[in-house]
Amino acid sequence: MKGHRLRALVIKESRELIRDPITVALAVIMPLIMLFLFGYAVNLDVERVALGIYDLDNTPASRALTARFDSSRYFQLQQKSADLHDLDSAMQSSTIKMGVVIPAGFARQLLRDESAPVQVIVDGGYPVLARLASAYAEAVIGNFPAPRQAAIRVRARVWFNPSLRSVNFVVPGLFAVILMAFPPLLTALAIVREKETGTIEQIYASPVTSGEFIVGKLVPYGLVAFLEILMVIAVGFAWFQVPMTGSPALLLVSAFVYVLTTVGIGLLVSSLVRTQLAAMLITLIVTLMPSFLFSGFLFPLFTMPLGLQLYSRLFPAGDFMEISRGVVLKSAGLEAVMPHLVMLIIYTVLIFIFAAWRMRQKVV
Amino acid sequence: MPAAEPIVAEGLGRHFGDKIAIDPLDVSVDRGQRVGIVGADGAGKTTLLQMLAGILDPTEGECRVLGFDTRQGAKRIAARIGYMSQGFTLYDRLSVKENLTFAARIRDVPDKLYRERSEQLLSMAGLGRFTDRPAAKLSGGMRKKLSLCTNLVHEPELLILDEPGLGVDPLSRRHLWAMLDRFQAQGITTVVATSYMDEAERCDRILLLEQGRVLADGTLEELLRDVAGRVFTVHAENAGRGLRELSGILAKIESVHSVQWLPDHLRLVVKTDIAKNRLSESSPKSLHVAAVEPRLEDLFVLRTERMTGEQQFLELSRQDRGKGEGLGVNGLSVRFGHFKAVDRVSFDAPAGELLALLGPNGAGKTTLIRALCGLVAIDEGSARVAGLSPGAGSAALRRQIGYMSQRFSLYLELTPSENLRFFANAYGLAGGAARTAIDWARGVTGLTDLPDKLTRDLSNALRQRLALACSLLHRPRVLFLDEPTSGVDPVARYRFWRVIRELAASGMTVVVTTHYLEEAAYCDRLALMLDGRLLAHGGRASLNHSLGLDAGATVEALFTAAIEQAGTANSRALVP
Repeated sequence: MKGHRLRALVIKESRELIRDPITVALAVIMPLIMLFLFGYAVNLDVERVALGIYDLDNTPASRALTARFDSSRYFQLQQKSADLHDLDSAMQSSTIKMGVVIPAGFARQLLRDESAPVQVIVDGGYPVLARLASAYAEAVIGNFPAPRQAAIRVRARVWFNPSLRSVNFVVPGLFAVILMAFPPLLTALAIVREKETGTIEQIYASPVTSGEFIVGKLVPYGLVAFLEILMVIAVGFAWFQVPMTGSPALLLVSAFVYVLTTVGIGLLVSSLVRTQLAAMLITLIVTLMPSFLFSGFLFPLFTMPLGLQLYSRLFPAGDFMEISRGVVLKSAGLEAVMPHLVMLIIYTVLIFIFAAWRMRQKVV
Repeated sequence: MPAAEPIVAEGLGRHFGDKIAIDPLDVSVDRGQRVGIVGADGAGKTTLLQMLAGILDPTEGECRVLGFDTRQGAKRIAARIGYMSQGFTLYDRLSVKENLTFAARIRDVPDKLYRERSEQLLSMAGLGRFTDRPAAKLSGGMRKKLSLCTNLVHEPELLILDEPGLGVDPLSRRHLWAMLDRFQAQGITTVVATSYMDEAERCDRILLLEQGRVLADGTLEELLRDVAGRVFTVHAENAGRGLRELSGILAKIESVHSVQWLPDHLRLVVKTDIAKNRLSESSPKSLHVAAVEPRLEDLFVLRTERMTGEQQFLELSRQDRGKGEGLGVNGLSVRFGHFKAVDRVSFDAPAGELLALLGPNGAGKTTLIRALCGLVAIDEGSARVAGLSPGAGSAALRRQIGYMSQRFSLYLELTPSENLRFFANAYGLAGGAARTAIDWARGVTGLTDLPDKLTRDLSNALRQRLALACSLLHRPRVLFLDEPTSGVDPVARYRFWRVIRELAASGMTVVVTTHYLEEAAYCDRLALMLDGRLLAHGGRASLNHSLGLDAGATVEALFTAAIEQAGTANSRALVP
C-alpha cells in the first residue's frame, strides 16, 4: 500500500459521495424509516385480545366475570353472543380471537362452593397469541371472585427488562438489523458503479492494488456507516425511550466493528457481480433476510434445529444482536461481550481478505 | 537496463466459453511505432487491447509488454503504459483538474512533475479554461481529450487507445490526433484501435482484424498493393434505370465480390481479373467502367471470406407508395431539465428524399428523431411528419411512420418469422393482409430464407435487415433509421444502403442518423448536428461550395469546416 495512492483514492471517493446528495440522503433517511416502521410495527406484547362472551347464566356473578375480563388490559369485549353458532362465526371471521362460554348454573355452583366450569375457546391460528391469551384467561378466571390460597406461592421476577416492554427488546435488535441492511447496500453499489460506467478499467490499468482500492472505498463509506450508527442509536434511545443500562462507549465500539463487517460484505458482493441491480438484490438476500431470520431478532436461535443454528452462525448479525441487547438491557461489560466481539473481528478480517482476493485486477 | 521491445506476443489468444474472441496470433511492435488495429465492431479489437494492457488474461499463448509478462507483471506494465478504454474513463462528479490529479496520484507522479505536466497537458488539450468544470458537463470531444491527458500524465512509454475517435466531433478528433502526433515525435509507442479508415491511414502499420483473426498486417501502401486493380466504378448515362438493369448482370458474375450502390454510380470489388472482362463484355454501351484507387475498406471487403456478390431485391415501384408530404421541422427544441438536447432545429425533407443526419454521439440526433416520432415531447417549435404534427400517442402518425431504433428493438427470444408476425399484428394487420405485408417486407430487405432459430443467435447484419423489415410492414411514408449500420461489417452495410436507396427512390422519405461520416455519400442531402444544434443542411456539393471547400472535399472536412464556421462550441448550450 502506498500512502499517496490511498489518499488519492479516499479523496476521490469522498468527493464523489458528497456530490451525490441523493445517495447521502438515502443513507440517512432509509435507516430512520426502518427504525420507526419496525419500532412501532414489531410489537410482541399481547394486549386487548378481542373477546366474545356467550353467557348462558346471565346472573350478577356471570356479569361480574364478564366485567372482570373487559376491565383487564389484555382483553377487550368485542361482542356478547346469543348462541354458540354466533360465537363460531365471529371466530371464523376473526372479529374475536377468544370466546368464553359461561354455562347456566354458574352462579349457583359458585355459591355452593362447588367448582364451576367455564369454557375458554381460543383461535389457534396464531399459536403464540393463543398460548398467551389462554394463560391470561386462566389467570383472570383463577382470581375470580377472589384470589385463592395455594400451597406454594410463585414469585417470578423479571430481570433486565422488568416492564417486559417489547420495544426495549426490539429496538436494540433493530440496531443489528438496520446496520446489516443499509451500509452494505450503499457500498455494494460503490464498485459495481465503476464497473458499469467503465471507469474501473482505468483503475485496473494503473498501479493501484486491489487492497488499496478496497480500503479507498472502505474509509468514506465506513464513515457514512458510522454516522448511521450514531443516528440510529441516538434516535432509538431518545424517541423510543429504551433504557440504556450498560456502557454507551462499548456499544459504539462494537457497533463500529460490526459496521466494518457489514460494509465489507457490501464490498465483497460488489467485487463479485457486474451490475448494480444484481448487487442490490444479492446484498438484500445475504444481509437483510438472514439478519431478520437467523439473528435471534424475533425468533430465538436455540429453538431452531441444529443445522439451522449452525447456518445462522454464518451471519454476523447474531453476534451483534447479543452484544447490543446485552449492553443495552443487561448492562453487559466487555468480558461478557468479548466472545461475540472476537467473532465479529475475525469475520471482518476474513471478509476483507476475501474481497481483496476476489477483486482481481482483470476485466474477466 | 536495455530497452525491451514494447510488445511481443506469441500465440496470444482468448476465448470466452466457446466463443473465440482472438485466434492465437503473433505480433511484435517496435519502439516508436504507431500501430492501427482496424476492424468492424465485434472483430476482437477491444479484447486484444485489453490483453496487451494486462487487464485481461489470455487463454492461449503469452505476451510481453515492455519486457514484463502480462499475466504476472500486469501492475508493472500498468505503471509504464497509458490505456484509454472505449467507454467513459472519467469520474463525472469530479472536475477536470480533480480527474487529472487523481490519475496522476494513482500513477505515482511526483507533485512537482505533476504541476509542470498538468498545465502543459491541459493547455495542449484546450482545457486550460475549464479546470473547475465537472467532467459530466464536458462535450464528448473534451471528455476524450481529458481522458487522453489522464493517460499521458505519467509519460508512458506505450499508449494503448481503444477507438479514440468514436463519438467525437471531427474538429476534436483532429485535435486529439495532433496531440498524439506530438507525443509520437517524443518516441512514444502507440497501439490504436479504430474503425475510421482515415485514422488507420495515419498509422505506420495496420493490422486488419476480422472475427478474431488478422487478415492483413503491413503499411498502408503494402496493404493497398494487394487490392490494386480490383476496384472499379460503373457510371451510367441514366443513373436510375441504367444501373438497375446492371444488377441482373452482376448477379451472374461469380467473382464480383461486393457491390456498393451510390447515388450516381456503383463501386465494385472483384476477385479476379476475369470479372472485369466479363463486366465490360456484358454491360450495355451506355455504362462506363473505370478502375479506381483502392481504399483500405476494399481490402477489408476482399479479405473477408464471405463472398456475397450481388444480391437481387424485390423491385419497388412508385405505386408502392402513396403520394404524400415528407418532413418539415421548424425551430424545434427539446429540453431535459436544464439540458437542451435539441436546440431550435429547422430543416425539411420532401417526399422521396434520403437525408443523412450526421453528428457525434450526444449531438441530439436520436432525441430529434424521437421527437419527430412523437416519443419525446417537443418543447418549442413545430414539425410536420407525413402531413401530421407529432404529438404524444398519435395513432394516426404512427401509421405513417416507421422507426428503427439504435439497438434494434426485436424480441431476441422469438424467431425472425415470429418477430415479423408480431409486428404485423401490432400494426393491425391480420391474416392475409399480414402475410402479404410480411412477404413484401422480406422481399424488399432480401430476407428470402429466414433461419429457423432465435433472433438472439442471428448475426448483427441479419438482425439489422430483420429490424428494417419489421419497421416497413405497414408501408410508412416516412422512415426513421437511428444508427442502423453500427456493429455491421462493410459488405452488409453496402447491401443495407442499397435497400434504403431503393426505398427512397420509391417515394419514401428516409432519415438516417449515422456517425460514420463517409456514409453520407449515399444520401441526397446532409444535416450536420453538434451539441443539439443544426450546423448546416443541404446537398453535399452546395455545402462544400458555401463553406469554400473543393467539390471533392470529404464529409469529414465539410463537418470540420461547418464547426469552425459556427464558432468553436466547447460545451452544450445550457438553458439559463
